[in-house]
Amino acid sequence: MINVLATIKIIVKTLIFPGAFFAMAAGLLLAGIDRKVLARMQKRIGPPVMQPTYDFFKLMGKETIVPHAANRRVYMAAPVVGFVSLAVMMLFIPIGGWCAFTGDADLIVILYLLTIPAVALIVGGSASGSPFAGIGISREMVTMMSYELPLIIVFLAVAKKVGGDQLFFGFRAITNWQIANGPMIAQLAMIPAALAMLLIIPAEVGTQPFDVAEAETEICEGPLIEYSGAPLGLFKLNTAVKMLVMTSLFTALFLGGITSGIHTGITLWGIAIVDHILRALIHVAISAVITVVSMTTIHAATARLKIEHLFKFYWTAVTGLALISLILVWIGF
Amino acid sequence: MNYSHFPAIAVMGLFLGAFLVEIFGSKSKIVRNIIVFVFTTCAAALMLYLVKPVMLDGEIISYWMGNWEPVDGYAIGIGYEIDQLSMFFAILVVLTIWLSAVYSFRYMERDRHLGHYYTLFLMLSGAVLGLVCTGDVFNLFVMVEIMTFAAVALTAFRNKKGSNLEAAFKYLIVGSVGSGFTLTGITLLYMQCHTLNMAQLSSMLSGNLTPVTVLALALMFTGFGVKSFIVPFHAPAADAYMSAPTSVSMVFSGMVNKAGVYGMIRLVYIIFRAMDIEAIQILLVLLGVITMFIGVTMALAQHDLKRLLAFHSISQIGYVITAIGLCTALGVTGGLFHALNHTLFKGLLFLCAGAVLYAAGTTDLDRLGGLSKKMPKTCICFLIGAFSISGLPPFNGFASKWMIYQATYEKAVTTGNLFYAFATVTAVVVSVMTLASFIKVTQAVFFGQCPAQLQQTREVPFSMRLPMWIMALLCVASGVLYGDLYRFILAPASNAALNVTGYIDAMLGSGTAASAGIADIEVAKVSFSYWNPTAWLILFAIILIAVCWVVVFGEKTRGAVLQSESSQDVDGKYATFFSGEKSMHSHVGGSDLFWGFKKNFSGYFRVMQGIHSGNVNDYALMAVAAAAIFIVFMFVVLL
Repeated sequence: MINVLATIKIIVKTLIFPGAFFAMAAGLLLAGIDRKVLARMQKRIGPPVMQPTYDFFKLMGKETIVPHAANRRVYMAAPVVGFVSLAVMMLFIPIGGWCAFTGDADLIVILYLLTIPAVALIVGGSASGSPFAGIGISREMVTMMSYELPLIIVFLAVAKKVGGDQLFFGFRAITNWQIANGPMIAQLAMIPAALAMLLIIPAEVGTQPFDVAEAETEICEGPLIEYSGAPLGLFKLNTAVKMLVMTSLFTALFLGGITSGIHTGITLWGIAIVDHILRALIHVAISAVITVVSMTTIHAATARLKIEHLFKFYWTAVTGLALISLILVWIGF
Repeated sequence: MNYSHFPAIAVMGLFLGAFLVEIFGSKSKIVRNIIVFVFTTCAAALMLYLVKPVMLDGEIISYWMGNWEPVDGYAIGIGYEIDQLSMFFAILVVLTIWLSAVYSFRYMERDRHLGHYYTLFLMLSGAVLGLVCTGDVFNLFVMVEIMTFAAVALTAFRNKKGSNLEAAFKYLIVGSVGSGFTLTGITLLYMQCHTLNMAQLSSMLSGNLTPVTVLALALMFTGFGVKSFIVPFHAPAADAYMSAPTSVSMVFSGMVNKAGVYGMIRLVYIIFRAMDIEAIQILLVLLGVITMFIGVTMALAQHDLKRLLAFHSISQIGYVITAIGLCTALGVTGGLFHALNHTLFKGLLFLCAGAVLYAAGTTDLDRLGGLSKKMPKTCICFLIGAFSISGLPPFNGFASKWMIYQATYEKAVTTGNLFYAFATVTAVVVSVMTLASFIKVTQAVFFGQCPAQLQQTREVPFSMRLPMWIMALLCVASGVLYGDLYRFILAPASNAALNVTGYIDAMLGSGTAASAGIADIEVAKVSFSYWNPTAWLILFAIILIAVCWVVVFGEKTRGAVLQSESSQDVDGKYATFFSGEKSMHSHVGGSDLFWGFKKNFSGYFRVMQGIHSGNVNDYALMAVAAAAIFIVFMFVVLL
C-alpha cells in the first residue's frame, strides 16, 4: 500500500524544494550575485544578475561534441552524477531549521557527498582524454586533499561542541543545540573554526585564488577543456549549486536556527507554506552574504595560487585555525 | 542433519583436492579444472550451509577430531570450534577461494606447470579455512605455517623473473620470523597452562596474567601482526602481492591478511581478554592509524598497479585494526564490516588489475592509457571498486568507514581522549588520499590517450569477467543492504568477539565460563542508520529522473551529440585540443599526477624511501625490533 500523499511530498521535495529546482534557481542566482558584486568591486558594471541563468539555458541548446579519445558514456554521465549528488545534499542540509527529511543525516554523509561532484568533474575530465584535463584533474584532486583535512576538523569541533547523545554528527542535534544556545558563531571557541570554514568554501567551489584546477589562463579550464553544450552547462550549473550548498552548510553549522522563530501560522493542505517561503528567502539572502564575504571579496583581492602553495596553505594555516577550535572545545570552552 | 562435521570436511576436502590435482590433474586441463572447481565449490557450499545455524540461530559448533573429548576438564585433542566470529571469516575465505578459482581457469592458461599452481592454491585455501575454524592454538600455528609456505611458493610461481624470487624470499624470511614468534608464544602458553585449547586457555588466563603469559601475548601479537602485514611488518607484502599471479594477489588481500587479523582478534579478545586494558586499545589504534597512513602515502608514490593495490591493502587493514582496537560494539562491528568490504572491493580491484595484465601485458601505470574504450566492462568494474574503496556513497566502503569514523569519535568523546579524535581525522584524510590514488590509476590506465602498442587490446574472456561482476554486485549490495548485513552477519560476529562465554561453554560444557569467573557482557545494539529508507527512495527517484533526462533529452536537444565513429576520421572537430600543436600521443600518466602534494611531502617520502630499502635484513630487523618494543610495552602496561 503506497501512501499517495507521502509519495507526492517526496517527489515535490526532491524536484522542487529544496531539491533540484530550488538548488538550481538559488545557485544560479548566487553565481549571478557573485559576478555582479565582483564587477562592482573592480569598478566594472558587470553582467546582469540573471546572466549565469541565461548562459546555462544557452549552453543546453548548443551542439555537444564528444572528442574521439573520450569514453562517451562516462563523459556524458559525469556532470549528471555531480548534479544529482548536489541536489541530494540540499535535501540533507537544514534550511531554517527544517530538513527535507528527518532522518539521521549527518556531517559525514555530507562530507562524502561533497566529494562526489569533485569526483564527477575529475572522472569526466579524465574521460575526455585531453592532457590539459589530465593536469587539471591532478590539481583538482590535490585541492580536494588540501581542504578535506581542515573540513573534518571543523566538523569534529562542531560535533564536540554539540555533544549529541549517540550520533555525534547529526544535523538535528546541531540545529536544536543552536536554537537552544544561540548561533554557533557566537561561541568564542568556534570563531576560528568559522573562519576556517569561510576559507574552505572558495576552495570547494573552485573560485580564485583557489581555482588552480580550472586555471583558464594556463590550462584552458583543465577538466572542462573538451566539454561543450549541455554537459558543459551542467558543470557550470554544478559550480553554481556548490555555492549554495557550501553556504547553506556554513549557515547550518554556524548560523543555524536563526530563522526557526518564524511562525506566521498560515497553512495550506497542512503545510506551513508561507513559513517555508519566508525561511527559504532569508536563507538565500544569508547565503548571498556569505558568498560575498567568503568568495567574492577574496576573489577580488587576490591572484591565483600555485598548487603546492594552496596545499601548504590549507594544511598549515586553515588546519591550524580549525585545530585551535577543536582544542578549545575539547578543554571545555 | 548433523552438520558439525562440515567444517572439518570442508578443510580436509580442500587438502584432499590439492593432492588429487597433483596426481590426476598435471596432464589434463579439464580434469584439473573440474577437480579444483568441485572441491572449492564443495567447501563453499558446506560452509555457507552453516550460516543459518551459526549466524541466525546463534549455535556454536564444536567438533572434537577423532572424538578426543576433554578428560577431567582438560582438552587433549584437537577441537574445531565455529563461533560467529570464525563463521564470519570463513564466509570471506570461501567466497575468495571460489571466485579466485573461477578466475584462475582462464587467467593462468598461459602459464606452465599448472598442476603445481592449483596444488599450492588449494593448500593455501585449506590452510586459511582451517585456521579460522580451529579451536586449538597449536593447530592454528600449523595452519599458519602451511599458509605461509604455500603463499611463499605461489609468490614465486612465475619464477622466470628474478624479482619474483626475491619477493618470495623476503616473504619467507619475514614470515618465518613471525611464525617463530608465534610458536614461541604458544610454547610458553602450553608451559603455563598445559593445554592448547583456545577456549580453555581463555578461561584459565582470564584475570591472572603472569610474566610468562604476557611474554607469550607479546610474541603472538607480533606473530599475527606479521601475518596481517601491519606496519612495521608491511614491507614484504608489497613485493609479494605484486609478484604473485593476480588471482593469488586477490587471495592474499582477500583472506591471507584477514587470517592475520582473525588471529589478532582471537588473541586479544578471546584468549587473553586483554582488550579491557586501555593501553592495549591505544596500542592497536596507534598501529592501525600508522598503518593506514603509511600504506596510503606509499601507494600514492607507486607507479605499478599491483604494487599500488598492495599498499592499499596494507592501508585498509589499518582501518580494520583501528576499529578493532576501539573495543566498542560500534568499533568491532565497523572493523569486521570493513574487513568484509575490503575482501570484496580489493578482490575486485585485483581482478581488474589481472584483467589489465592479461589483456595489455603490463601493469606499469606509465605505459598504459586509454583502455576504457578497449575494455569497457573492466573499466566499469574498476570504477565500482575504486569508488567502493574510496568510500563514496552508496558503495560499501562508505558504510563501513562511516561506522569507523563514528566509532573513533564516540570513543574520543566518551573517554575524553583527543588521540581518538586524531584517529578520526587521519582516517578521513587517508580516505581522500585513497580516492586520489585511484583517480591516478583511472586516469593512467583507463582514460587519456591510448599508446600505439595497446591499440590491439581486447576485453578479457567471460569466465574472468564473471567473478568481477559478482564482486562488483556484492560491493553495491553490501553498501545498500547494510542493515540486513548487520542483523544477520555483523552483529553476531561482533557479539562473539566481545563475549567469550559462549565460546568457552560450547567447547567445555556449559558453566565452565561462569566457574572461571567470566560473565556475559551486555553488548550495546549499534544504531547506524546513517541513511533511512526514505532517503534511499529519494535518491533512487532522483537518479531515475536524471537517467531519464539523459536518455530523453541528452540525445535530442536542439543541438546534437556528436562523436566520430571510425578511428581514421580524426579531423579537427573530434580531435582533442592540443593548443595548435600537431596532434600526438601525449598522455598524462600515473607518475605525472599530484605534483603539488608530492612537493610538499618530499621530505616525508625521502624518509620513507630510506625505510623501504628493499633489503630483507632491514625488514627482518624491523620485525624483531617491533617485537622487542611490544614485549617491553606489554610488560609495562600489563604487570
